[in-house]
Amino acid sequence: MADLESDLSFQLHENLSIGRVPQWILTDPGIYELEVQRVFASNWYFLGHESEIPNPGDYVSRWYVNDPVIVSRGNDRKINAFLNSCTHRGTMLCSADFGNKANFICPYHGWTYSLEGKLNGIIAGDKIYGTEMDRSEWKLRKLPRLETYHGLIFASLNENVVPLDEYLGNLKWYFDILLGRSDKKMQVKGVPFRWVVEANWKIGSDNFGGDAYHTAMTHRSTVELGIAPKDPMFASYGHQVVLDNGHGLNVITPSPVAPKVPPFQGLPEVMWPMFERNLTEGQLEVFRNTAVIDGTCFPNLSFLSPMHGTGGHAHLTNFLTLRQWRPLGPGKMEIWSWFLADVEAPEEFVQESYKRYVNTFGPSGVLEQDDAEIWSRITSASKGLMARDKTLSYNNVMNYVMGLDSVEPDPNWPGPGIAYPTCYLEAVQRAFYEKWHECIAKD
Amino acid sequence: MTITDSGRIQIETYLEICQFLYFEAELLDDRRFEEWLGLLTEDVQYRMPVRVTKEKADGSDIEEPSSYFEDNLVTLTSRVARLGTKSAWADDPPSRTRHFVSNILVQPGADSSEYLVTSALNFVRNRGSICVSDQLTGKRKDILRRVQGDLKIASRDVYLDQVVLGTPNLITLF
Ligand code: FES
Ligand SMILES: [Fe+2]
Repeated sequence: MADLESDLSFQLHENLSIGRVPQWILTDPGIYELEVQRVFASNWYFLGHESEIPNPGDYVSRWYVNDPVIVSRGNDRKINAFLNSCTHRGTMLCSADFGNKANFICPYHGWTYSLEGKLNGIIAGDKIYGTEMDRSEWKLRKLPRLETYHGLIFASLNENVVPLDEYLGNLKWYFDILLGRSDKKMQVKGVPFRWVVEANWKIGSDNFGGDAYHTAMTHRSTVELGIAPKDPMFASYGHQVVLDNGHGLNVITPSPVAPKVPPFQGLPEVMWPMFERNLTEGQLEVFRNTAVIDGTCFPNLSFLSPMHGTGGHAHLTNFLTLRQWRPLGPGKMEIWSWFLADVEAPEEFVQESYKRYVNTFGPSGVLEQDDAEIWSRITSASKGLMARDKTLSYNNVMNYVMGLDSVEPDPNWPGPGIAYPTCYLEAVQRAFYEKWHECIAKD
Repeated sequence: MTITDSGRIQIETYLEICQFLYFEAELLDDRRFEEWLGLLTEDVQYRMPVRVTKEKADGSDIEEPSSYFEDNLVTLTSRVARLGTKSAWADDPPSRTRHFVSNILVQPGADSSEYLVTSALNFVRNRGSICVSDQLTGKRKDILRRVQGDLKIASRDVYLDQVVLGTPNLITLF
């Protein structure tokens, strides 16, 4: 892995500080290699949600970029994450997406591991192995760190990564609203959607993290249909909040010229007392007046909690989706999309919520479709000599100057972070790229 | 199903159903989406349950509750209306698509006006100047109903063979 040359690193830093992002970082294979090591392996990486593996023996197969991982629940109910590979010759142990097992048996020579990863069984072990093997040295290989927050399972390949709590930092205050508002919290419904898009993973993080500005144009078809308001500023109302460690979000409030939306994103009234129990005054104030929350947990976990109807402004229904932009190379990613609902939400509401999710933000979603299409057009236009020129002699930088040094934070914002009083801003994206640069510039 | 079950279907009916499905495919590939809507019953249910990779012992690899489409006539009509807007970027410039339909089997339905029809779908989508086409294959389970003499789609479930979709979006209908 070639290091980032110090003059390039300096140039990146200089440009980022004035809202310019060199276009070559979207398609450069060298940068991609650095990202795998220094962005993904060094930080916390999202693997799934606890509700996907409720019982002992339950497992899901996931990918930590290119490492196959078994995320499973042991008999002690604790969650483990193992490299999905036998310690004998490296065979993949679980090739299904999920299931329930009493132990993991390798199909090659039959080595058998407990749910906790202990090498328990070896075919004819007593006859063929003597003192040359101490079984305790051949356990399944655990990912060095695993921690959870409100059911979100994160792992890290970096033994020395800061605790998850500290890493999430002030994003937790907003995760409390999205994931911790109910007594029994949230659960994943169904299996995640997965699809492949020819786009750089950073574009997904950048778009969900802060790009409210794209909605009026990218999703103009929904404006033409009368599903979204005509006011070109409709996604600008509210606050863009820059958080710790490259995290950030938009808290979008209803357009003052559009019909009113009910409190708490229209979630059923029977749930409100629960929110009042679990959230602070400040969190309630924010949540009560919100239409849409979208954001990114650095590096590649995004979240979206909007309200959508079947047409017009009737029956706007909220849903929560988590997104992972799993990189498959500099110009390609696999999108994973989960749907979550409050455990206590009325079943009828959950069904309607799921339908709105599928209809707007699944691979067939009438909003989603256009995002992926346009992101792939960025890749198509960023592979040539001009876009990839590292001396930037063709002005091959992307423009992130919106609101740079001209929008002041709102001192009255009740939540943590630096909150600017508009969502048409690129402060979150600038902070994302600065954190990204800090990671890849590090030795 | 046995061959005898399908034997209860008149050959004329079978041919009529084949012709209906080919005509439907042609409407979709020729981008005559409004006309396609005319092939649906008012109470149509349109789904595409998610396929997963599972061990054999764990049973069906179809996750019925998860679906890429959860549509009825209202939402399908708004999808078609969207394709008619000037800003459905995922479809503009339009992809070139081909719905190949085969393996058509017909059984009697719940009453004499309905037929249970299964077919294989090979969907090919070519975009821009990319030589390699995106491909989705799968099985469709339809309920066709005769409404005032005409066949209509009362229900469709599409079961794709892909677990990870190799196309950036499901822009058209299947
Ligand atoms: S590779 Fe797994 S037992 Fe040999
Ligand atoms: Fe979007």
